[in-house]
Amino acid sequence: MSDTAGALQHPWPNLRLQREGVGLGMWLFLASEVLFFGALFVGFAVYRSFNEDAFRIAGAHTEIVYGSINTALLLTSSLTMTVALRAATTNMRDLTLVCLAVTAALGVAFLICKGLEYREDLKEHLFPGPHFPLSPPATQMFWGFYWIMTAIHAVHLTGGIAVVTVVFVLFKRRIIPVQGSTMEGVAIYWHFVDSVWLVLYPLIYLAGRS
Amino acid sequence: MTDPSNPQSGARERDARSEQAWWLWKGPALVWLALIVLFGISFGVAYLPLGGANLAAHLAIAAVMIVLLVTFLMDMRNATAIVRLIGGAGLFWLILMFSLTFNDYLSRHY
Repeated sequence: MSDTAGALQHPWPNLRLQREGVGLGMWLFLASEVLFFGALFVGFAVYRSFNEDAFRIAGAHTEIVYGSINTALLLTSSLTMTVALRAATTNMRDLTLVCLAVTAALGVAFLICKGLEYREDLKEHLFPGPHFPLSPPATQMFWGFYWIMTAIHAVHLTGGIAVVTVVFVLFKRRIIPVQGSTMEGVAIYWHFVDSVWLVLYPLIYLAGRS
Repeated sequence: MTDPSNPQSGARERDARSEQAWWLWKGPALVWLALIVLFGISFGVAYLPLGGANLAAHLAIAAVMIVLLVTFLMDMRNATAIVRLIGGAGLFWLILMFSLTFNDYLSRHY
């Protein structure tokens, strides 16, 4: 059985339609994710509109170096993920595997950076509660959103890294062929997690710098 | 397959492979470069004293970056009509959520 024959699953007549089906399912899931993150963003926007100065003061205390490094890491991981998908579609197995490994490594680097950043934040007691160092009190709202939004994003990224790693192993062991439809869903999800960060980055790290 | 008796066919195959590799990287790399440049601009804008316009500029740049990412890296430009419809539906409900929420909060006079 050729690799292409193994890639085609019932009931799809061809790989193009199968890939479209996987992409459609992932987009449907992501449309619900848009509303999930949207609810957090709308909450942030409402509280910010009533506490503009407090959010600016609080935002100036975020670790912009870690945030910026992480932005560059995620943008680069989107590049390698796109090439992984294109390579998989054209059955360039080795390049697919290399790009998937680099993508996962960039994701792990993001999480390490995030961990170091959290450590710095906790050292400065920037966690809403009794010994919170900033004033006015509404700065705690910003930091409440900071922890929730970045942690939820990190959970999504961790899920993405896990999926990329599993897919890498399945490809490597030739359990599933690279040119099937698997990469379609993985790539779209990864880019979505990246795009959420593109909104989080200016809201958390850039506002309040000037 | 390469014909061992013909060295030219091996060279042709290598050329075709490098051309294919170039095709794989070229488009995504250009989009990545544009995204990095926009990220740099957004970073620079953060330190300009623009008042309320800072956040507006950041969000506008973020919107352009997401459009680039969705159009080219998520390949929405080649997506089927139903995928575009679902992507559009997500955006529509997001806009509706923001509109209705702020319709309430911004119209309160107290």
